[in-house]
Amino acid sequence: MEAAIVFLPLAAAILAGFFSRFLGGDRFANLVTCSFVVLAAVLSWITFFRVGFGGEGAEHTIRLFRWVASGDFVFDWALRIDTLTAVMLIVVTTVSALVHVYSIGYMSHDPAKPRFMAYLSLFTFMMLMLVTADNLVQMFFGWEGVGLASYLLIGFWYHKPSANAAAMKAFLVNRVGDFGYGLGIFGCFVVFGSVELDQIFAAVPDAAGTTISFLGGEFDAITAICLLLFMGAMGKSAQLGLHTWLPDAMEGPTPVSALIHAATMVTAGVFLVCRMSPIFEYSDTALTVVTFVGASTAFFAATVGLTQNDIKRVIAYSTCSQLGYMFFAAGVSAYPAAMFHLTTHAFFKALLFLGAGSVIHAMSDEQDMRKMGGIAKHIKFTYAMMWIGSLSLAGIGIPGVAGFAGFHSKDVILESAWGAHSGIGNYAFWLGLVAAFMTAFYSWRLLLMTFHGPARADEKTMAHIHESPPVMTVPLAILAVGAVIAGVALAPWFTGHHMADFWRDSILILEEHKALENAHHAPMWVKIAPLVFGLAGIAVAYWVYGRGLERGRAAGQFLGPFYQFSLNKWYFDELYDFLFVRPAFRIGKLFWKKGDGRVIDGFGPDGVASTAGRAAKAISLLQTGYVYHYAFAMLIGVVLLVSFYLLFGH
Amino acid sequence: MQDLQGLLAEYLPILIFIGIAAGLSVAMIVGSMIVSRQHPDSEKLSAYECGFEAFDDARQRFDVRFYLVTLLFIIFDLEVAFLFPWAVALGDIGVFGFWSMVVFLGILTIGFVYEWRKGALEWE
Amino acid sequence: MSELPIMGPALPEIFLAIAVMGLMMVGVFVKPDRALPLVSALAIAVLLVAGALIAAGGGGYQLAFGDLFVVDRFAVFMKLLVIAGSVLAIIMSEGFIRREGMDRFEYPVLICLATLGMLMMVSANDLIALYIGLELQSLSLYVTASLQRDRLRSTEAGLKYFVLGALSSGMLLYGASLIYGFGGTTEFGALAAHFGELESVPVGVITGIVFLVAGLAFKVSAVPFHMWTPDVYEGAPTPVTAFFAVAPKIAAMALLLRVMMGPFGGMVGEWFQIIWFVSAASMVLGAFAAIPQTNIKRLMAYSSIGHVGYALIGLAAGTEEGVTGILIYMAIYLVMNVGTFACILSMKVKGRMVEQISDLAGLAKTKPAMAAALLIFMFSMAGIPPMAGFFGKLYVFRAAINAELYTLAVIGALASVVSAFYYLRIVKVMYFDEPAEAFDPVETRGLKAIIGVAGVIVLAFIFYPSLLADNAAVAAVSLLQG
Repeated sequence: MEAAIVFLPLAAAILAGFFSRFLGGDRFANLVTCSFVVLAAVLSWITFFRVGFGGEGAEHTIRLFRWVASGDFVFDWALRIDTLTAVMLIVVTTVSALVHVYSIGYMSHDPAKPRFMAYLSLFTFMMLMLVTADNLVQMFFGWEGVGLASYLLIGFWYHKPSANAAAMKAFLVNRVGDFGYGLGIFGCFVVFGSVELDQIFAAVPDAAGTTISFLGGEFDAITAICLLLFMGAMGKSAQLGLHTWLPDAMEGPTPVSALIHAATMVTAGVFLVCRMSPIFEYSDTALTVVTFVGASTAFFAATVGLTQNDIKRVIAYSTCSQLGYMFFAAGVSAYPAAMFHLTTHAFFKALLFLGAGSVIHAMSDEQDMRKMGGIAKHIKFTYAMMWIGSLSLAGIGIPGVAGFAGFHSKDVILESAWGAHSGIGNYAFWLGLVAAFMTAFYSWRLLLMTFHGPARADEKTMAHIHESPPVMTVPLAILAVGAVIAGVALAPWFTGHHMADFWRDSILILEEHKALENAHHAPMWVKIAPLVFGLAGIAVAYWVYGRGLERGRAAGQFLGPFYQFSLNKWYFDELYDFLFVRPAFRIGKLFWKKGDGRVIDGFGPDGVASTAGRAAKAISLLQTGYVYHYAFAMLIGVVLLVSFYLLFGH
Repeated sequence: MQDLQGLLAEYLPILIFIGIAAGLSVAMIVGSMIVSRQHPDSEKLSAYECGFEAFDDARQRFDVRFYLVTLLFIIFDLEVAFLFPWAVALGDIGVFGFWSMVVFLGILTIGFVYEWRKGALEWE
Repeated sequence: MSELPIMGPALPEIFLAIAVMGLMMVGVFVKPDRALPLVSALAIAVLLVAGALIAAGGGGYQLAFGDLFVVDRFAVFMKLLVIAGSVLAIIMSEGFIRREGMDRFEYPVLICLATLGMLMMVSANDLIALYIGLELQSLSLYVTASLQRDRLRSTEAGLKYFVLGALSSGMLLYGASLIYGFGGTTEFGALAAHFGELESVPVGVITGIVFLVAGLAFKVSAVPFHMWTPDVYEGAPTPVTAFFAVAPKIAAMALLLRVMMGPFGGMVGEWFQIIWFVSAASMVLGAFAAIPQTNIKRLMAYSSIGHVGYALIGLAAGTEEGVTGILIYMAIYLVMNVGTFACILSMKVKGRMVEQISDLAGLAKTKPAMAAALLIFMFSMAGIPPMAGFFGKLYVFRAAINAELYTLAVIGALASVVSAFYYLRIVKVMYFDEPAEAFDPVETRGLKAIIGVAGVIVLAFIFYPSLLADNAAVAAVSLLQG
């Protein structure tokens, strides 16, 4: 059954991608991809209940076949089914299924639907490969596979130069992270002698304290491996430094943003850290780094999200920020909290994206919020959905009772950060609180700018505004249900009292890391603080944007450089352009013009060829046409041969 | 001394031969100078009478027929030069020698027929 | 009374000699306008009969004319190749010589005479017999080169060939006299016996060999005695060039083999450097000098220089395998060359024969079959598998490797890479350039048949290599045991 979950999307991708043309075109592609992925989603939920609530022994590994057997380097294609995987399975397949269905409506005007659907299914397969991997190499396969699918989908509208550039940027920035991930795999093999997860985990306690020497320095082996793996996670999950590709990735169709760049692929990094918790637990340094990067990202992305005007970019920075939350949760050893937020976030963020997609769809592909406004009454359903998503994102709820999904997960994360009782934990807690304020602010800024106030779009667009068809609204509704109840329903199992029964061995938390435990006993002010910050954010947003854009503009002018700094995303793109892109182009040009052109071509192909040509010309010049020259050549030849024998013959 | 005498004695016939040849030539030239009528002109007084200027550029057009005749002459001249020793030694070389020369003469004859038919022997 | 010498083994040559004289008589006694077709047909018949006699007579090792003349399997193999080359040359000339103002019955007669000389060369077992055969061949060729006597270039070609040929003959004779001086005899068997007894080889003998090789290398147009080749190939009428490129090369190669492996077979170690140098220089020059050529016939001249270089690798190896390689190489070379020249002879642009490579532009569009055939021949010449040319190179290279002549094999391989350039350039011109001119149809049935058969042989060789290789191996054995 688990194999069916993984391979159904692959089959769908192959059928839709290669055979749609012969088997019924768009309708066939829609039908086969949606039905296969929905089926996979249903099977995933069954698996989730069996494994998550099945108690001891429900987790298992399905070995498909041997992949590599080279000396000690042996591993299989295998599906590792434990609670962690099961959680990811439902997240991935559910969101994917809904996005597939949604795409039927959203992409209805696109001429290349089968290709789109095939890519989506291919992505789903790769993502499932990633989360079910039993060894690091297989995970790397999925890791690169989702990268590929992401590249293909960001650049889906390949006639747009900006889409192509964004696709390449995503691929290249991820390369940096993948480099680290690759090194991490090598490191695991060097230190533990295996790339299979079970064997690595078994060997970790013994390997604690060993060192690797590299370039003359001695490094703690486990810390080094963790940091390298985390580098991969940072790339995939767009953490500070390697985040620049994610906002640009919004060039892709909105369903792609919802599925890949909000709900699933970008969370792969979080999943990786949780999956590798048995290693990370043994390196406090690595955990500190994870916390620091996560908290910083959460703060940084939130500040940028405050000022963006593109509706999708706001949500993209929000995603980036929420991923930061997940990371610092993992960093304080609250892996279940990270996974919890991952799950709830998948629902409400997918909801927000798809809702934004619905808005964009209604606004005739307009994405700039400054040109929206006053459309709430036209698309009431979408408006409601966006509200639910925003409430969930802002973490609104009644402490100790119930709330939207995001409320439960975000609270437990912040409480865990506080519960870590460490400097870095406090750093994360306070930055997280500020970020929560900003999250609420930009969420309502988005809502107010988009739906309220006077209509700023032209009349033609306004006349055209319409609610999306059911094929798009139904997935929104389902996600909305998730965004509302996922927190209440899952909290006891993910982070509550049944936590140990639920996660069992899939996540390891050492005894001395008590952040999550402390979270349950956090003082009231800690529990209330996130809600207060969130409500404050909403209030400020209403004050500023409640009546149009003027106050926002004035605030921007008042804040001056701060506003510019945020609007320009802390100048990361400019910095990278200066630090890496331009030098890389210069080096590339140097190698191309000088290295390849002058040296390799010059001495290699071109040089040899032109030398041959010159030699040929020189030789043919010998052919003067004069008989006496010819006779002379013959005599010279004889003389040379005879002299050779006279001189060297004996 | 005696040996040298003997050696020189062997060359006596050649000496006599040279003497006769010289006398004969002198007699013929002197005789023609005395007896014949003389109408000298520049052509007749030049060294050769084959269409060439005696002292002139070597790269010059000439009538190929001179060469044709000369070449044909040389072939038969050589044939004669070949026939003399063959005739003298015929007794020693026997049937094989005889037939060899017959084949040689046959081949020459074929060539002769060919050049005759091709008109190489006609001046005009 | 001396006995008549044994003449039986020389029956084909005697027949050919008498028949040629007969042909001459026929030619002068029939009406001039009928002479050429009649003599051509008769010449082909005569050559075929001679070939049949050779094939019928040749088995074991036979001597004739007081050991001046030898017949063995090697001689039979080479003679049949020579006859094939001559017959094809006469067939290919049909049409051309009528059109191009060399409408003379002497052409087939001279070809036959040259062939006679070549047969004598192949069978020569004595330095004097060698020289006689060589001169008979050479004199006939000098005349055929300038057969188009109204064309300046043809006469120039003939004259150059003659003057340089005379020089080479002089060298050869000088070498022969040195060898005679040191060996005391001119007969190959006796020379071999004499040199076999020597402890060390006198410098005079080596010098003699150098001169002898120089003379023979001239005939096979090996560097540095090749200089006449491009000029003569270009100047001579194209069918004559085709003949030059094939038959005399084979005969001279046979002679070179017989001389080097016979009387001097015991001293391979002393002379292989000569062949090594000549071979390497030929390959390199053949590869490079052909690149700037625009005239197909000049190109083919350099190509043939290169091919001789490859063949000589086998001789430098000095082994039975090497000799086998040469025999195979020459046989394949014959087929490729005849096919290529047949293609060249079948094309005419704007009322003149195709001579420039650029004339071939777009041949693939105007004459696909011809272009395909030429493509096959060019690929084969370049040594691209699975064409026959590849196997020719394979055999000689293998011989070189087994004889540990690695450097020579490497030079050969590199040279064949370079030479592939100009062969493929012809293919490129045919297939990728726009057709410039329409071609006038001039191919005769004979040419078509030759192109077809040669193409099939080149392509099918891979399936039946043993047909040729086995015979070549037998011939090589007979040469070395002789």
